[in-house]
Amino acid sequence: MMNEVSLREKLIRCFRVVFPRLTEAAIPSASVATVVAWDSLAAITLLHVVEEEFQIEVDMENLAELDSFEKWAAFLSTETGQA
Amino acid sequence: MTLTEALQILNKAESSGSEEIYPVLLACGFAPLHLETFLAAHMQEALPGRIVRIIGGLYGDLAGTVERELPAGIMGVAVVLEWPDLDARLGYRTLGGWGPLQEIEIVQQVRAALARLGNAIERLSQSVPIAVSLPTLPLPPTFHTRADETGKAELEIRAELANFAVRLASRQGVSVASSQWLLTQSPPDKRLDLRAELLTGHPFSVSHGDVVGSALARQLLPASPKKGLITDLDDTLWHGLVGEIGAEAIAWDLDHHAQVHGLYQQLLSALAGQGVLIGVASKNALENAEKAFERPDIRLAKDKIYPMEVNWRPKSESVGRILATWNIGAESVVFIDDNPMELAEVKAAYPEIDCLPFPKKDAEAIALFNTLRNLFGKRRLDEEDELRLASIRAAAKMPVPSEGGAQQDLFLSQAEAVLTVRFDPPASDSRVIELVNKTNQFNLNGRRYSEAEWMRCRESQNAFLLLVSYEDKFGPLGKIAVLAGRRENRSVSIHTWVMSCRAFSRRIEYGCMDLLFSHFDIDELEFDLEVTAKNSPFRACFAPFLGTEPEKRFVLPRSVFQEHCPPLFFKMSTT
Repeated sequence: MMNEVSLREKLIRCFRVVFPRLTEAAIPSASVATVVAWDSLAAITLLHVVEEEFQIEVDMENLAELDSFEKWAAFLSTETGQA
Repeated sequence: MTLTEALQILNKAESSGSEEIYPVLLACGFAPLHLETFLAAHMQEALPGRIVRIIGGLYGDLAGTVERELPAGIMGVAVVLEWPDLDARLGYRTLGGWGPLQEIEIVQQVRAALARLGNAIERLSQSVPIAVSLPTLPLPPTFHTRADETGKAELEIRAELANFAVRLASRQGVSVASSQWLLTQSPPDKRLDLRAELLTGHPFSVSHGDVVGSALARQLLPASPKKGLITDLDDTLWHGLVGEIGAEAIAWDLDHHAQVHGLYQQLLSALAGQGVLIGVASKNALENAEKAFERPDIRLAKDKIYPMEVNWRPKSESVGRILATWNIGAESVVFIDDNPMELAEVKAAYPEIDCLPFPKKDAEAIALFNTLRNLFGKRRLDEEDELRLASIRAAAKMPVPSEGGAQQDLFLSQAEAVLTVRFDPPASDSRVIELVNKTNQFNLNGRRYSEAEWMRCRESQNAFLLLVSYEDKFGPLGKIAVLAGRRENRSVSIHTWVMSCRAFSRRIEYGCMDLLFSHFDIDELEFDLEVTAKNSPFRACFAPFLGTEPEKRFVLPRSVFQEHCPPLFFKMSTT
């Protein structure tokens, strides 16, 4: 549970940096559909920020599917082995 | 800097509430992505209080971006050149063909592209500062030679590029990022991100984007160089303790395994030649040190050092006297010593001084030399750089009497002083912006300007600019003061006034005001004063007119000036 909280907190940090106008409360429900600033440039920036934060490499081929906070969280949970 | 840190810097600036935008054009042929973020973040760090805004050009059209008319208000242009901008076949996003026939065409195409780009950059440099980054990515395997051999076509391309760089570096408003510096910061095999290049059109790895962004920001907003260097002698300027082994036995050559000390002397001599003040602070007997400087093989001549503080007192006392003689702030000075305790003692007394250890190991010396080049490097040298040391020496010998008395009148009346004032000097005279951005004590408001901001100031309606030079029988001081402002009916409003501290106590400031009143035939001078931590010498000179030192914007009527102005003895020359 601690790992899960930690992962989500780190991911919220990433979203806060890339989408500074999103409120903390709105981040967990953020998606391409709800965040106007989430364009292709922001998606790549988010990928690099996540790579820095989690010290992993994310294949850009996955970008199209990583279109919401929840999908990012699920993806990172698998990649980092944190349940 | 990580991408996260860069974004945090930019987010913080955006939320600061500042409305002062600093727009910069980023001209590159690829999708700028995080290069844009890093360029903005590095510039933002150097421009607190303003918001850096990067404006991009057209994808795939670098030359067109530079050729088009600039968007309004652009303060600088960063040109990022990569191989595909010169010929698309030198990139990975087109399939134009690689082979012997294409090699000849590619060379011709590169030549033509560089000529076009060079013309556009030269034209643009007349109105705005430009920083150029030459291709940083490895060439693709286009050519017929093995990877470990350079073929004729590749060499011809590199020669064209080198000529292009020379052409640009010769222009006043253009700077070219150092390929050697980039090599030290970004290993060639870590620069290309082929995955990103193919998917997004951005070829730089995140770390390389940071380095290129940093290099361009440094060119567009160069830090002010340090002014003075204070060095220790034993085991620093030379190897050995001169007081113990004698002047003949100390060494700075290969034979005695002391070459790094010779190189250090050589570097200090070169810095002195470009106007850096060199002083000595050493715990020694003066006669021993002087004997060392009498040796014919010394690489740093004694006449390039002033002052020489050689005694047994604490180093911080010697450093204090040197600072007083130079009349510059501790933040403009570097102190070098091999002894960590001496460095700590000076640092404790003067926290603003950069205290650097002279290395014990030869291999570490190159890092020190490069650091000194960075701290003292200047884009261009001018005649003032040669005059600085001579005028400080002359000032130290000049018996200047106390301010304001009959003795000073007599002294100044016999000084044979000539004040030369140049109205609206050419923009190419880099001494103007250097004085504005380096002067602390006699400074109206302490405002610093980028080259672009200064150009904008000069373009405003009814603007004027004065560059003042001074010479007397003790020698020339060179260009020592800058005044800038606007004429408005019967008044002149001054927004910039700086004067080198070397020119104090000569009544040059009064001569300047006298000239303004008579030249423009005006009734008053208005000063856009702001109090800074260091500009009390400026404010003090107005106390005789106002009854007290001013603390905010103020007006000086002509009648008040004439009533209280001390006698002036200049021969005035205007051009």
